[in-house]
Amino acid sequence: MKKIKKQNVAGLLEKWQKEFTVFVPSKASGVLQMAAWDGENLSFLERNRNTAIPPKANFLPTMQKMFGFRKEEGGYVLEPTDEDPPKQLLFGIHPCDARAISIIDMVFKDAYEDKYYLSRRQNTVLVGMACTSPYDNCFCTSLGFGPADATDVDIMLTDIGDSFLLEQVTDKGKGVLAGAKDLVEATQADEKKAKEVKESAKAAVSTKIDTKEISKRLPLVFDDKKFWEEIAAKCVSCGICTFLCPTCYCFDISDEMLRDGSGGARYRNWDCCSFAVYTKMPAENPREEKWRRVRQKVYHKYAFYPELFGVIGCTGCGRCIRQCPVNWDITQTLNSLPEGTAAKAEEKQKTS
Amino acid sequence: MTEDLEQKLRDEVRTLLEKGKIEHVIGYGEGSLKFATTPIMISDQADVDRLVINPFIHNNLSVLLPEVSGKVAVVAKVCDARSIISLVQNKQVARENVFIIGVPCNGIVDVAKVEKLTGLDRDEIDAVTWKDDRLVVTFAGGSKEFSAPEVALDSCLDCDCSGFKEFDLVIGEITPVAANKELSRVRIKEMEAMTPAQRWEFWKNEFSRCIRCYACRQICPVCFCERCFVEETEPLWVSPLPRWQDNLIFQAVRMMHVAGRCTDCGECQRACPVNIPLGLLTGKMEDIVDELFDYRAGMDKDAAPLMAAYEPEEAEDLMR
Amino acid sequence: MDTFEPKIVAFCCNWCSYAGADLAGTSRMQYPPNIRIIRVMCSGRVNPSFVLKALSVGADGVLVLGCHPGDCHYLTGNYRTRRRMAITKKFLEYMGVEPERVQVSWCSASEGSRFAEVVSAVTDDLKQLSPNRLFND
Repeated sequence: MKKIKKQNVAGLLEKWQKEFTVFVPSKASGVLQMAAWDGENLSFLERNRNTAIPPKANFLPTMQKMFGFRKEEGGYVLEPTDEDPPKQLLFGIHPCDARAISIIDMVFKDAYEDKYYLSRRQNTVLVGMACTSPYDNCFCTSLGFGPADATDVDIMLTDIGDSFLLEQVTDKGKGVLAGAKDLVEATQADEKKAKEVKESAKAAVSTKIDTKEISKRLPLVFDDKKFWEEIAAKCVSCGICTFLCPTCYCFDISDEMLRDGSGGARYRNWDCCSFAVYTKMPAENPREEKWRRVRQKVYHKYAFYPELFGVIGCTGCGRCIRQCPVNWDITQTLNSLPEGTAAKAEEKQKTS
Repeated sequence: MTEDLEQKLRDEVRTLLEKGKIEHVIGYGEGSLKFATTPIMISDQADVDRLVINPFIHNNLSVLLPEVSGKVAVVAKVCDARSIISLVQNKQVARENVFIIGVPCNGIVDVAKVEKLTGLDRDEIDAVTWKDDRLVVTFAGGSKEFSAPEVALDSCLDCDCSGFKEFDLVIGEITPVAANKELSRVRIKEMEAMTPAQRWEFWKNEFSRCIRCYACRQICPVCFCERCFVEETEPLWVSPLPRWQDNLIFQAVRMMHVAGRCTDCGECQRACPVNIPLGLLTGKMEDIVDELFDYRAGMDKDAAPLMAAYEPEEAEDLMR
Repeated sequence: MDTFEPKIVAFCCNWCSYAGADLAGTSRMQYPPNIRIIRVMCSGRVNPSFVLKALSVGADGVLVLGCHPGDCHYLTGNYRTRRRMAITKKFLEYMGVEPERVQVSWCSASEGSRFAEVVSAVTDDLKQLSPNRLFND
């Protein structure tokens, strides 16, 4: 195992900057989010609490041009966008966000390979940083992993005081570290310290949910309108929970024409199932009522996604809880699911 | 002190429910976030003890009012109560169906401001308490004190409770936060001292990080249009794509659409997940409306809404 | 002299100002060709979103022309215009839009010459400013 002194990290980032756009957590824009490293600021090495905007924005931008089109000889000619996006290195990714990226990868590789997402994904290196100070509403440990899990990154750094322990997780990770100066062998004491840091972070995750119980109860309470109406009562149907969620990926597509009519472009942008118009169609809106939309959000993440992809569509990052303007808390909802009745269970057995 | 108020509120609400004077209550309950409360709806006397009063009753509960049918009591600060009356003025809510319970407020603590001043996140702060007009923030390793203007929501600093007479019941005594309008307009004055180009650059920068979550619109009690202008595609007034230009146009037009109904409650700024200082817009709009038309939203339930009324002679100096 | 030709979008109400514009035309009065007229039934139809849309697509200025207060074909439409546009002007100025870019005036159907005057004056005002680059990246 290798390690690198904190004072040498800048050199490593500079080396990487030659090949990649290096993104680091930064508050320069006014809100903590991944932004291109300015070459100077290194405060994220000492204090790395999770960003407000998740790093999904680096693969699925808030707005993305899909292709252009030009009017020519009575028809339209498509102008594909650059299929080879610039290479990027995301530094300081938390395991919950890295896990989230792996989760939504499944959607974009499913029946249709989404090249807009996948090309960015392939051109990205994920350098994770073990979370040392989870927020009070993080609940990653309930979802089968923890704040120091290295499964979904290419390199994992763990803060052991004056240095970071470096785990080279994937070949891609090994590749970008090749030729890096200032990497030294970690001692046994270093590895022990790293273990302590990881355990301590895990212990600091205080919010818990019982996914076993949840998966048992969800199928039984779908039609409990009274419960869902109560749960949904305070929701104002904004997009904060969805947009700030690292596992939400819905997008809307629109075409914009150039004013002179000579052509235009097709774009996609983030969409949100909480919006009242999300399922609005000319004939009807199946989720006109707010309680249906709130119910949908919970089921999508904790019932439908597991059915389709075998994994819960949530990584317990807690952003939705922290930023919701009415303090709607998904962990409270999940922890208060009614048991559903035995009769309902039987009914479900018969129909499934 | 607050405990007495809480108890009084709970007792009053229990009585109102018992006597059948109201069917539901919208109030503040314990939040799962530090220094936050959460809206709760109660119809059962057994749930009355969930109601709380503390320095973090930030939500403007009137936003939930139009969804609830029957006779509803709403726990309201003055700004929220004005929003209720604003809704009555605009015929969104019938006055006889709302029972307005006034609660005192020393100014809502702007957690974003406290976080910025202390360099800590809210879960790293142990306690936040008012000591007269100073806010004491305690954390591991010490504490800091701040004055109200430093930590209260900008919108709270020009809180003017005088003249509001629509409370059906008042718990405790309602006094202004700091009856010094100058304080709340410091940042607006700074804006006005800039050149137009500087101001535009400022807003261009702020709206570059808007993600069009529409929290500002959704949390606003007076954004009650069934179809918002942003949903119009033929013609397309503003693109759904989050370019700074469209973000700025969305917010500018939204502000102009709520002019005369907005009571500068500060919720839009508090709700914004990317910290856009919307209070600089709502505060200015409130001033514009007051200066031009001597009008304040939500003060008089029988007053016509701003845009439904006119004087034979007014604002001619702005017309060519 | 290095001035530019401003593009002005003028919202004219059907009953007064549009007729006034017609009169200016039929009377062969000369006025700057910088305006592009959009006819609305009443100046009260003009939503702040129209003003912002016009500025965002490159108009250097927006002019709203309606009936004189008290003479609105729909009785009270222009009173709404006056309130709404007063707010729009002041608010946009606060946000950083030069006040000359959004102007409102009253012009009756018989005031062909006034129409020409107002258009000339507004065009001159805008020539003193630079072309609208507010919404450029």
